[in-house]
Amino acid sequence: MEFTQALLNAQSIDGTVRKHAEESLLHFQEQNLPGFLVSLSVELASEDKPVDSRKLAGLILKNALDAKDENRKHELAQRWLSLDSAAKAQVKACLLQTLSSLVLEARSTATQVVAKIAGIELPQKQWPELIGSLLSNIHQVPAHVKQATLETLGYLCEDVSHEVVDKDQVDKILTAVVLGMNSSERNNDVRLAATRALYNALGFAQANFSNDMEREYIMRVVCETTMSPEVKIRQAAFECLVSIAAMYYAKLSPYIQEIYNITTKIVRADQEPVALQAIEFWSTICDEEIDILENNEGDIPCFYFIKQNLPALIPLLLETLLKQEEDQDLDEGAWNIAMAGGTCLGLVASTTGDDIVPLVMPFIEENITKPDWRRREAATYAFGSILEGPSPEKLVPLINHALPFMLSALEKDPNNHVRDTTAWTLGRMFEFLHSSIVGTPIINEGNAQQIITVLLQSMKDVPNVAEKACGALYSLAKGYEDVGLTSPITPFFQEIVQALLTVTHREDAMESRLRTSAYEALNEVVRCSTDETAPLVLQLVAVIMMELHKCLEAQNLSSDEREKQSELIGLLCGSLQVIIQKLGSSEPTKYVFLQYADQIMGLFIRVFACRNATAHEESMLAIGALAYAIGPDFAKYLPEFYQFLEADLQNFEEYQVCAVTVGVVSDICRALEDKILPYCDGIMTQLLKNLSSGNLHHSVKPPLFSCIGDIALAIGDNFNKYLTYAMKTLQNAAEVSAHTSGLDSEMEEYINSLRNGILEAYSGIFQGFKNSSKTEFLIPYAPHILQFLDSIYMEKDKDAVVTKTAIRVLGDLTDTLGSNVGSLIQQNSSCTEFLNNCLISDDHMIKESAEWVKSALNRAISV
Amino acid sequence: MADPGFSSTKRDPIKSSVGNAAGIRRREHAVTVGKERRESLVRAKRLCRVGISDVEVDVESDMMIDEEQSILESQTSLAVQNLKSALAYQGKGAMQKRVGALQKLRRLLSRSEFPPVESAVKAGAVAILAQCLSFGSPDEQLLEAAWCLTNIAAGNPEETKALLPALPLLIAHLGEKSSSPVAEQCAWALGNVAGDDEELRNVLLIQGALIPLARMMLPYRRSTVRTAAWALSNLIKGPNPKAANELICVDGVLDAIVRHLTKADDESATEVAWVVVYLSALSNIATSMLVKSDVLQLLVNRLATSNSLQLMIPVLRSLGNLIAGDSHATYTVLSPGLAVTDNAIQVMIKCLKSEQRVLKKEAAWVLSNIAAGSVEHKQLIYSSEAVPLLLHLLSAAPFDIRKEVAYILGNLCVAPTKGDEKSSLILEHLVSLVEKGCLPGFIDLVRSADIEAARLGLQFIELVLRGMPNGKGPKLVEQEDGIEAMERFQFHENEDLRTMANSLVDKYFGEDYGLDEL
Repeated sequence: MEFTQALLNAQSIDGTVRKHAEESLLHFQEQNLPGFLVSLSVELASEDKPVDSRKLAGLILKNALDAKDENRKHELAQRWLSLDSAAKAQVKACLLQTLSSLVLEARSTATQVVAKIAGIELPQKQWPELIGSLLSNIHQVPAHVKQATLETLGYLCEDVSHEVVDKDQVDKILTAVVLGMNSSERNNDVRLAATRALYNALGFAQANFSNDMEREYIMRVVCETTMSPEVKIRQAAFECLVSIAAMYYAKLSPYIQEIYNITTKIVRADQEPVALQAIEFWSTICDEEIDILENNEGDIPCFYFIKQNLPALIPLLLETLLKQEEDQDLDEGAWNIAMAGGTCLGLVASTTGDDIVPLVMPFIEENITKPDWRRREAATYAFGSILEGPSPEKLVPLINHALPFMLSALEKDPNNHVRDTTAWTLGRMFEFLHSSIVGTPIINEGNAQQIITVLLQSMKDVPNVAEKACGALYSLAKGYEDVGLTSPITPFFQEIVQALLTVTHREDAMESRLRTSAYEALNEVVRCSTDETAPLVLQLVAVIMMELHKCLEAQNLSSDEREKQSELIGLLCGSLQVIIQKLGSSEPTKYVFLQYADQIMGLFIRVFACRNATAHEESMLAIGALAYAIGPDFAKYLPEFYQFLEADLQNFEEYQVCAVTVGVVSDICRALEDKILPYCDGIMTQLLKNLSSGNLHHSVKPPLFSCIGDIALAIGDNFNKYLTYAMKTLQNAAEVSAHTSGLDSEMEEYINSLRNGILEAYSGIFQGFKNSSKTEFLIPYAPHILQFLDSIYMEKDKDAVVTKTAIRVLGDLTDTLGSNVGSLIQQNSSCTEFLNNCLISDDHMIKESAEWVKSALNRAISV
Repeated sequence: MADPGFSSTKRDPIKSSVGNAAGIRRREHAVTVGKERRESLVRAKRLCRVGISDVEVDVESDMMIDEEQSILESQTSLAVQNLKSALAYQGKGAMQKRVGALQKLRRLLSRSEFPPVESAVKAGAVAILAQCLSFGSPDEQLLEAAWCLTNIAAGNPEETKALLPALPLLIAHLGEKSSSPVAEQCAWALGNVAGDDEELRNVLLIQGALIPLARMMLPYRRSTVRTAAWALSNLIKGPNPKAANELICVDGVLDAIVRHLTKADDESATEVAWVVVYLSALSNIATSMLVKSDVLQLLVNRLATSNSLQLMIPVLRSLGNLIAGDSHATYTVLSPGLAVTDNAIQVMIKCLKSEQRVLKKEAAWVLSNIAAGSVEHKQLIYSSEAVPLLLHLLSAAPFDIRKEVAYILGNLCVAPTKGDEKSSLILEHLVSLVEKGCLPGFIDLVRSADIEAARLGLQFIELVLRGMPNGKGPKLVEQEDGIEAMERFQFHENEDLRTMANSLVDKYFGEDYGLDEL
């Protein structure tokens, strides 16, 4: 079949035609990859070909270079790099040619593909001429070429790390981009592309932002661009400003006044997408200042931009609160200027503390009783927003004054929106200013009854209000988590539980996530309950079990009903998890509770018949809690439970299920100790399989390693039979994780958690073998482990947690192998240096561990 | 044109549903719990040593000679100077500088067996450290400063007194607004201060340390409870009972004691038990409140289930104080026929069997108080496994234990008296105990220089002389050299004992003695 036709057929609505075409394309790709890629690029570059075939050609090309999954992405990059260079050159030439195409779709696709190839090649020091040739395009006259080139530069900055581009080239890119944004550029497409390119290029501009002149210029152009007549350009320019606020906070001082003036105008008068970004700018400034003030790190000073602009900023934000949309409370994804304004107000309160209160109070007092619901809602929302940040001394008197009013509003205000916000505000009062924090408790024996009566009454309100009331109840209960024998809500425990259970049965409980919030509130009420109500919690076990039983019995459900049912099963398992933890935490209640254990476990096992990831996760978590409460006797459930455990360990698709299950294996190991032994062959096989799979989400791997350690701890030297395989897997992973240089922070964090997992596995194995006659089997692995520790020690910015785990492994090695490794370690100068460094660490956990290691080492040498 | 990659990111709204966040929190909690359990499991294994002797081979510290001590001292003065200048510095990185200087000083103060506290105090450390505790300082700084002060407070009493200027701030940071590590460290420092000097205890009480420390004991947080209880037990040591009286009246304290004794781990329970020891030793109000709560039962349970000597000592002493201090304890709570009473006697037997001398002694004291109760109490002890143990102890134990044991055995033989009546005998007990050979033990006590013990011995001899059927008493006493023991008192300086011994000798071994045998 002809290539163009195949590409068109692959988009056919006729399934047979489409399938046939896809197969032939795949066949071509497998037969001759370079030829295939070249054909795609030629197709994309040919002005005489149909738009649709060109677009798809570009898309397939892109997908041949990039994937979301990290492993796959790496594979594709390697594949591209290994291709014949003539073919690569031809593909690249076609792509660059396409940037000048008159067809927008073709150009636009090509920009992305070029950036992907740049992302692969530039770090390898290949395709050095790319940026130069792109920049030369900039000076060409046709606007569409300029636009495509700027777009390419933007994507390139997104896909390539700034470390691999020379300073000289960075300067040129920025110059080109900023020139494109300039008001003298009259083509809006070019200006938009340039502004968006700048957004991505900001990460490259560190040096330029440190140079006063260059920064002045960039900032002037960005500010100017925010006044473009084109809304998309204004929006893009504000996105740049937001990004600058996050990246270059310390450089903003000279511009803040001007930015304030611009944002004021925009927030008051511009279209919503732009206004939202203008508010976002101030929210981002808050983020930065909160971060600086909290972390107190000292390298960036706080300029108190928010505090300085407070008198002007507050009225601006309060105005936005009056721009509510009808029914915004019914739409979970809603985001509008009033919501953004309130969110920003909350951040401002956290940033400035007490100063905000006198500026907001008049607005609240003036509006809270107005006939217009918008005014009442805005006033309430403003109050709720400023409850985190200012001191209790400032807020508590206001709250004591406002509380009766709020309770009555929740009961009686005719407007659903106002009641919703009132319930939320009550929740915030309880969350941040609960009785145990401040001198004069806002909840006391005098008003507890009324508060609870009103909240429970609201459980019968429309779903969105009832949901907020559940939230308030949640915070109310949470405030009493540390209280002793009794709390003001103890007398109402039964009433609250009853009301929440009734809510979960409402016909409309599925709206506004009401049912979920009701169960979570119930969980919190149980978790924070006192001994006095323990008998009632025990009664609740049977109630929730009955609910779960009913759910599991339900038959002949439509797929929609089935999904809702599964969600409910998940929630019920979640409640049982909390109840088990609660009752298991004190001996007398645990004893009584355990009479339900058989039945409860039976129910959990039945949950696995439903094919829903959340239900599986929740059931697993509850089983983990149960295993801990029961201890070694949990072994009696394993014959039946084991198959589900193994099945969920294999659930790569829904990797969260797999992750939770790995955690439960660890829980069970700790509960059963060596009674887990009969199941270890199966479990270990599965764990090692998971670890060697490229298809399992990477986040599951660290807990998998820790889990191996837990097994070894549980079964001691019986672990011997898995030793060779386990050590080999650990060794491979250790080698992969030995290098972190040049990784982004997210990846670095992952590598650190991976190292931690590996180290925990080593600790588990060594401590498991301690005092056994089989320790000699471990000796051959010592040199490699020392090498791994060495690589961690050599790291420039060591992670504190990894350091602690690593130094402990050194101790475990010594503790278990004693004189067999004593001299090995002593002769290893890097190990002793590591130890000495830890001994003088500021982190007392590290220091304490190091001291233990030192004493273990002294013992090992002295024997 | 499509806008790939340009969907503006949306912030999470401040007003959101509780359901999502709560579910995530539950999951995170499960992961955290797992981590903590792993950590404590591995920790337990690490601390477990088998086979190798525990002698620390720490060459370095053995080589710590005078010269090094003087280096340490000059380093300390320098560290204090550095801290002063760090505090004066206001520029960039001021915070790190301050914390760094504090850490340096803290490490010096915790280094050797003889921490250079004196040089630190001389260099003016206390005033500077107090300055570091000023309000609004970051937690890290507060923690380090309090830690330094803790180490200084652990020095000799003179050095501890140097802490006076810092006390108000240490107390201020105990409040609920402080983070728990800071509050705990301050409590620790104050506990050290209160430890060995009554004057300083009074200062702390006047400055209001009691209430915030008491509040710290209320929540469940393990380390906070432990530290606060430890500091409190030091603070209320007395001898003035005022602090103990006040403490028990703080809202929630009694509940907290009950709760911690029910649920807390051994270490925390130990510190709480020490609080109970001083409360019950010093305050009648506290004793009566404690007795009316579940505390007796809980103490008995703790003794039954724990083998930690650290815990058993204060628990046992608390029990003794309560039983000795309030008759309600013996007559109502530990009344015969209740399970708790049986349990109490069982745990005392456990302690009498223990290898630990303190436990034996304290247990004997507790039993002697119970034995002073009703006839039923006496019968209960008499018919228990305790008697053979007691008899053995009376003959073989160290003096102080023998004395306590003698109280018990003596009490078992007499019924409670009303007014000034002469004690009436429980003949069955007396005869059986004498037959089992307890008399020599008592006669031995008569010979001791301890007046109390001697009195006990004499009293028992009197019982034997008066009570043994068929007038066998004098004979038995004579056989065990009792007459010789009593004659030692003929010219004793203690009038009471002298009269008692002389009248016994006169009455039972007077001129008529032995005549009927002839």
